[in-house]
Amino acid sequence: MFGWLCTYIPEEILHAAGALPIRITGYSKETELEDGNAYLYINTCSFSRSCLQLGLKGEYDFLDGVVGGSTCDGARRLFDLWRNYIDTPFYHVLTVPRKYTQPAHDLYHSQVKQFKTHLEEFLGIQITDESLYRSIVVYNESRNLLKRLYELRKFDTPPISGTETMEVLNTCFRMPKELFNEWLRSLLDELSIRENSHKSRARLMVVGSVMTNPEFIESIEELGGLVVTDELCTSTRYWSDPVVLDRNITPLEAISQRYLNNFPCARMFPSDERFNRILDLARDFRVDGVISQIVRYCVPYAHDLPLLTERLKGQGIPTLALDVEYGTSGSGQIRTRVQAFLEMLEAKRN
Amino acid sequence: MTVSQGKENKLNSIIRASRIISRMNQASPEARKSNTLYYQMIADYYTRLLEASKEGKFIAAHTVFFPTEILYAMDIVPMHTETTTWMIALFTGHSADMLSAGVELGLASEICTPHRGLAGAFALGVLPRPSVMLWSNLVCDNTAKSGELLMEINHCPGFFIDHPFQRSEDEEKYLVGELRDMIHFLEEQSGRKMDWDRLADIVARMDRQIELFREINELRKAIPTPFNPQGFLQLLTIDYLFPGRPEATKYLETLRDELVERVKAGQGAVSPERFRLMSLFIPPMYLIGFLEKISQEYGAVSVTEPFFTYWGEGALDPAKPLESVVKKSYMLPEMRMYGPLDERALNGIVNCAEQYRVDGAVYYADVGCRHTCATIKLFKDVLDRIDVPVLTLDCDVVDPTITSEEDVRDKLEQFFELLEDRQ
Repeated sequence: MFGWLCTYIPEEILHAAGALPIRITGYSKETELEDGNAYLYINTCSFSRSCLQLGLKGEYDFLDGVVGGSTCDGARRLFDLWRNYIDTPFYHVLTVPRKYTQPAHDLYHSQVKQFKTHLEEFLGIQITDESLYRSIVVYNESRNLLKRLYELRKFDTPPISGTETMEVLNTCFRMPKELFNEWLRSLLDELSIRENSHKSRARLMVVGSVMTNPEFIESIEELGGLVVTDELCTSTRYWSDPVVLDRNITPLEAISQRYLNNFPCARMFPSDERFNRILDLARDFRVDGVISQIVRYCVPYAHDLPLLTERLKGQGIPTLALDVEYGTSGSGQIRTRVQAFLEMLEAKRN
Repeated sequence: MTVSQGKENKLNSIIRASRIISRMNQASPEARKSNTLYYQMIADYYTRLLEASKEGKFIAAHTVFFPTEILYAMDIVPMHTETTTWMIALFTGHSADMLSAGVELGLASEICTPHRGLAGAFALGVLPRPSVMLWSNLVCDNTAKSGELLMEINHCPGFFIDHPFQRSEDEEKYLVGELRDMIHFLEEQSGRKMDWDRLADIVARMDRQIELFREINELRKAIPTPFNPQGFLQLLTIDYLFPGRPEATKYLETLRDELVERVKAGQGAVSPERFRLMSLFIPPMYLIGFLEKISQEYGAVSVTEPFFTYWGEGALDPAKPLESVVKKSYMLPEMRMYGPLDERALNGIVNCAEQYRVDGAVYYADVGCRHTCATIKLFKDVLDRIDVPVLTLDCDVVDPTITSEEDVRDKLEQFFELLEDRQ
């Protein structure tokens, strides 16, 4: 079993090696982070502190390896500390370029190749093109099924809530993809005849930092907002864009292209790539308002916020900016602010 | 992207203050000549910038650890953004309006003050409007993410250099390509051509300057150490603002000669020298005068700064100027903590502590700096292995509301007591 941290880590390679890839998500609930705070200092995002806390407590001891990328300050420092204080047998960090240019693709591809070689050496196996092809098919199937799930959310009264969708996604990071695909197919069949559809005061989109706590979405939906789509690395940015197989390139090249070109994180340049895809989603899912939830000290998203807010405003979409801690359930002040935001959206509509 | 405008030109304050210090230094027989040169250089740098702005010349604003050599080779006037925010805090002691303006733009409080203040400074019109914005991801997310907002505020085009995280042949090749693309961008925007011969000359001078940095570091090993307690900040600024410039060579040679004389004479920067310190990261700029004073009072002096003055190994080759600029970016002292903090990187700190025979380390924990603060525990543990105690001082490099002079005094005094007890 191998832990991976960020959506720029190609899971298919781990899968093709016969490993079970598991996403490192820390505690997805509000919790005390004494060790995380002591080792990483409080100005590191609570997501990184939470992951480290779990690692230091030995709750990731079942992992045979961890794989990370140079994606943001929080992630790289988490791995620095992990390397020095947690004894995981295999450890690999990829340099992930921040651009989409051909040289950036070449560099990322060489990094992915090095990762594959390192993994082969560690496991004493060879990861063949055939096994990579098979893994691509399995992972593309997951992406396709998740896309179908999201399509249902475009309905006026979707058969699935944002809270339920987040629960589906959380299982996706932890179970074998073949099983997940089977399970999701059944769910989609069930949803096609589901009667209790969700009505709402406003159709919302959640954007921003990493988030895995369905209770946060639930707190919004309890107030009458319906989260119909999102732009999170634990949801849309995870499953968007399949690996495109092409006879002229190797499966490894196809994987590399997909991961660097995928729906971008705020770390990537230019930011308009991300903003445009958010605007597309907002239009396709007929979003009334956007809730930006940024984990404190998640600097890439905090920097993007003024620019994104302005672009959304240009499309007539208001934004509610929430500063949160990772794992927050959305209680207290957050509920008050969401309530006021929903009232504003209703007033705007009328 | 607008905020309420204020027209105070803080750059004039830097120029005025630098000229005054320089003149006072000149008039004082005991003052170091290098100090006079340093303040002249600062005044000249900002005078050139303001004149260029008045004359409508092409100005390139750029972030920290940027290959300024390229701008000098193209005869483009540079404006080092973070250093300018620090300089404003240092020389005017007043950056609250810039920080508020940054918040007004929508920047969250977790964005470090040099970058929040910088966005605010541009929005207020405190800094000249640049022709282009240039930035890279060295060495943190704040730097990587600052450029696009600054482009919007200044209504100017920009170029982002994607600096790879680790070092390999592929990564160096990628960075060379990034620099080539940036040169092409600058040629298009400025109408100037890259002067490759000039870049080669600059690289040759830069190579010499790195040698001088190393010579100065060697001299600082002496007991008592000859360089003043917070003097390393000058060394930083020299490379930030004047890499490969003839005046930087002159400054470094002058300083080196002064230190040679002091070492020969057994003359220390503080007398008596009681505590040899390692400085980890940057002290609050608005407290520099106070820190210098308390260092003199207690005989404490920073003798090594692994992430600011301790250059990596290697030499530059003027015959391969662009490759050398890339190589230099990997030799920068700050690069020790950019890539993975593996055993090799951590050993660098231990080596510094041992070679410079430090009694203790002061960790300036800038509360807005995530990529440095996350290393406090790690570095403390590494230094603990060789029995070097570490004082962590929570502070902010620009914002004086985070910590007070009294608080810093209390903590330093307690630390000096601890060091004394150990002696």
